[in-house]
Amino acid sequence: MLKIYFGDMQGAIYNTAVYFKNDYEDEWIVDPFVVEMIKDVDSSDVMYSGVIDSPVLGKIPPVKLSGGVKTLILVKFEPDVVFNASTCGDNCAKWLLKIAESEDRTVNLRHLMDFGDGEFDIEVLNTGTIVHNMKELVETAVSFV
Amino acid sequence: MKGIHHVVIQNKRMHYEFDLRRNITILKGDSATGKTTLVEMIQEYMDQGQESMVSIQSDKRCGVISGNTWKGQLSEFSDSLIFIDEGNNFVRTDEFARAIQDTDNYYVIVSREGLPNLPYSVDEIYGIHKSGKYGSLKKCYQEFYHIYGEDNTSIIKPSKVITEDSNSGYQFFEAVCRDNDVDCISAGGKSNVATKIAEIVGDNEIIIVADGAAFGSEMDKVSKLIKIKQNVHIYLPESFEWILLASGVVKDSEIVKILIEPSEFIDSQKFVSWERFFTYLLVEKTKDTYLKYNKSTLNKAYLQGQVRKEILDFMKNIEF
Repeated sequence: MLKIYFGDMQGAIYNTAVYFKNDYEDEWIVDPFVVEMIKDVDSSDVMYSGVIDSPVLGKIPPVKLSGGVKTLILVKFEPDVVFNASTCGDNCAKWLLKIAESEDRTVNLRHLMDFGDGEFDIEVLNTGTIVHNMKELVETAVSFV
Repeated sequence: MKGIHHVVIQNKRMHYEFDLRRNITILKGDSATGKTTLVEMIQEYMDQGQESMVSIQSDKRCGVISGNTWKGQLSEFSDSLIFIDEGNNFVRTDEFARAIQDTDNYYVIVSREGLPNLPYSVDEIYGIHKSGKYGSLKKCYQEFYHIYGEDNTSIIKPSKVITEDSNSGYQFFEAVCRDNDVDCISAGGKSNVATKIAEIVGDNEIIIVADGAAFGSEMDKVSKLIKIKQNVHIYLPESFEWILLASGVVKDSEIVKILIEPSEFIDSQKFVSWERFFTYLLVEKTKDTYLKYNKSTLNKAYLQGQVRKEILDFMKNIEF
């Protein structure tokens, strides 16, 4: 399940881009799940572990991926670290839910990310409440951001 | 700094073109829209000049500040357009808020989180609209007569008014509401507005009145709240003083000229947000008149006869 701590969180990694630059591993980039994620969010194709084909920027290294995708990759492969997921746009929300489908993940949010009109299970760690839609999430989390 | 500054930043693959109107502009929105690329291109131009193959067209110098040495970097700029990418947590600090008050720069900050220390306008929060290699800025929040909400085109007849303000603005709305048998309460500051909305139960029409010129930090959560509470509407004039100026109760040709394009008249170094300028302007224009304005206690003349009618008529789409 996706667990979210809203607001300031001690120990959460705020600048995920710098963390990614110094931490990512080549095999993460060619993982089929990540390839799909990069295609969806960045509209880019992974060619090799070190080369991504962006329709706008041309051939780019992984550090030039969007801030949102870099954070998603970290959330997937660094389960013991909590990252600032406010570096992700709303177009990353469904991927956060997918990453946390099979195993728990905790992220820190400093804004109310829009998880869409569907149903979901997210634990708001500030209150211990499990919310199932945006109405419940907004009403539970609004006082923490 | 004053005025609207047109900026074109491009290289072989990207072309950004936009106007900056106030001292603080916020960029947010989906991932992969080019926010970080924009800031990186400016940084590369700063480091390498024309050899970077980035070109910048602007009447002001463009720069980037980042990381723990931001204060030293900031001291090297004046009369400049300064860009700050996400991931720089100094933008959330009181120290940064104080530091930029003493400068004559405009700031463009990439951030999805609200920055309550900074008085930025709801009108200056943008996403990047991308079309191929071209990027422009698109407002995140759309208004109709300064009313924001799911249905902001119908006439609103509120059964309750909540004001951000507890001074003259509250006193005006409280008096009008009292005469019309409508509840009116003060939220006691912008940071309490979202909590007040969250506490609302029932389907009665409720309108929140806040100063749009400095309400930017609250807008993400408030806009999500009013999406799920569709009987709640938010009215965001620049400020209460702006309503009084724009309503025409103070007859002055200079006011009319200023309100057409405030950017050209408001010096960001003297007025960190437009609401402060409009208070200053109203006080200046009404001193020694029967409409003499005092922010903490409302001059009763604003509640009388034709003056009151002109102010209420100006608030189109709200009916008491």
